[in-house]
Amino acid sequence: MSDTSTSRPPFAVTGGRVRRDGRDVLSGVDLRVEPGDVLAVVGPNGAGKSTLVKALLGLVPLAGGRVEIYGVPPARFRGWRRIGYVPQRLPMGGGVPATVREVVMSGRVGRTSRWLPSLFADRAADRAAVDRALETVGLAERARESSHLLSGGQQQRVLIARALAGEPDVLVMDEPTAGVDARSQAALASALRGLADAGKTIVLVTHEFGPMEPLITRTVELRDGRVVRDDRVRRTAGSAA
Amino acid sequence: MSGMLHYEFMRIALVMAVLIGLTAPAVGTFIVQRRLSLLGDGIGHIALTGIGLGLLTSTSPVLGALVVSVLGAVAIEVLRARSRSGADVVLALLFYGGLAGGVILTSANGGGGTSLQSYLFGSITSVTMTDLYVVAALAAAVLGIVGVFGRELFLLCQDEEVARAAGLPVRFLGVLIAATAAVTVVISMRAIGLLLVSALMIVPVAAAQQVARGFRGTMLAAMGLGVLSAVSGLAGSFKYDLPPGPTIVLLALALFVAAVAGGSVARRRRARAGTAGDGLPAAGPGAQTRVDAEAEVLGG
Repeated sequence: MSDTSTSRPPFAVTGGRVRRDGRDVLSGVDLRVEPGDVLAVVGPNGAGKSTLVKALLGLVPLAGGRVEIYGVPPARFRGWRRIGYVPQRLPMGGGVPATVREVVMSGRVGRTSRWLPSLFADRAADRAAVDRALETVGLAERARESSHLLSGGQQQRVLIARALAGEPDVLVMDEPTAGVDARSQAALASALRGLADAGKTIVLVTHEFGPMEPLITRTVELRDGRVVRDDRVRRTAGSAA
Repeated sequence: MSGMLHYEFMRIALVMAVLIGLTAPAVGTFIVQRRLSLLGDGIGHIALTGIGLGLLTSTSPVLGALVVSVLGAVAIEVLRARSRSGADVVLALLFYGGLAGGVILTSANGGGGTSLQSYLFGSITSVTMTDLYVVAALAAAVLGIVGVFGRELFLLCQDEEVARAAGLPVRFLGVLIAATAAVTVVISMRAIGLLLVSALMIVPVAAAQQVARGFRGTMLAAMGLGVLSAVSGLAGSFKYDLPPGPTIVLLALALFVAAVAGGSVARRRRARAGTAGDGLPAAGPGAQTRVDAEAEVLGG
């Protein structure tokens, strides 16, 4: 499956419709995310940006149309380790504290064997990936702290590190810079540059590009649940500046 | 202390208390993180119908409770996943139905008050070695599930959508947590009673999260507090002729109060060290920790 699916686009939605409370949140969206795209989904509040990325991941059911992840409908998709999802929600988890490291380590869950007593045994590869992810978002020295006591921007970086720890081919991020201070945004942008240069696909919902602007290769604008603009920026053929 | 070890039922009950003290908080940590703190209560109500069925059909009440409460827990999980708004009402209906059904079935059996009372509030004077074997086997199963599926369950309880996007079988895992909680309720009902059973799943966890920084730390501390309150509560109930379940629960609550006090003192000290010391990153995070610590105390 993985041989044929490498040539397929990471995400393809055709005629995607999502209804909620009797109205269309997405109405007939066509979008094909190509490998290596660094795609920004923009648009006003309520335009359906978050719904679109959730639909791409199969997290909200479609009222019409179809979604494919690497050519396979989400319900039958098995290559989830290739996908990293950073949700928008800031308040993490339930009432039980978790250290930064524990949260980030849980991003490895798709890659580890179910039949090992995993809660009490960290493996070397997992540890290394978690260390790299924490280093990337600049939280290595806070690994042992309670994640719910960190600032909003730091919590957002924990969620990003969790997705990075899974070493995905595609990173889907919902408002990764919301509530993140300028320094963290710059750190995030340089982390994403490394991923983009390595050929990873990145889909991000955002209000403002900030320091990530030079990385964006494609902008899709949503309005009232429809794609109203789909611009490609050629990083190579673009401005020399 | 040594006096109670002369009685076989106390020796059995003490081993049982250790098993319950380990098992209930281990499952409870996931339940609390999933924000389903009252799930155990609901399962306890439903289990009562199983006990009634077991008594009425002259089979084992424990087996009846096990079957009915696992089915009930699975039903709760399915309803929870299906509907968003109406779920709590459906759950309430299940709880009341379980309690009322249990009372009707036990009274139809003629056994009436005393046997029902012993399941509602716990009774340890009648425990046998067979009970202990059943509890030990179920406790081993529950702890095994926590060990094998711990990391998956952790991610599920953190964020269900992220768990789905990681390819985890979220429906199966949700049912697994609910069913494991049901088994835990049945394990604990003999010593603590169905009406208080979920206290030992929740209160030690609430106490542990005041002092622990991480999930694993919370779980291990909660298991320690669970064993401490179960064993000392049982000993206290023997010595002062008190009902065991409520004694265990009150001790666990006392530990919770102590943990709240100890935790806020420790955090205040840590925060002060953070603001005074120059090695730690600035005053901002330290001050915030202190605010959060107080908010958490109020919340808990």
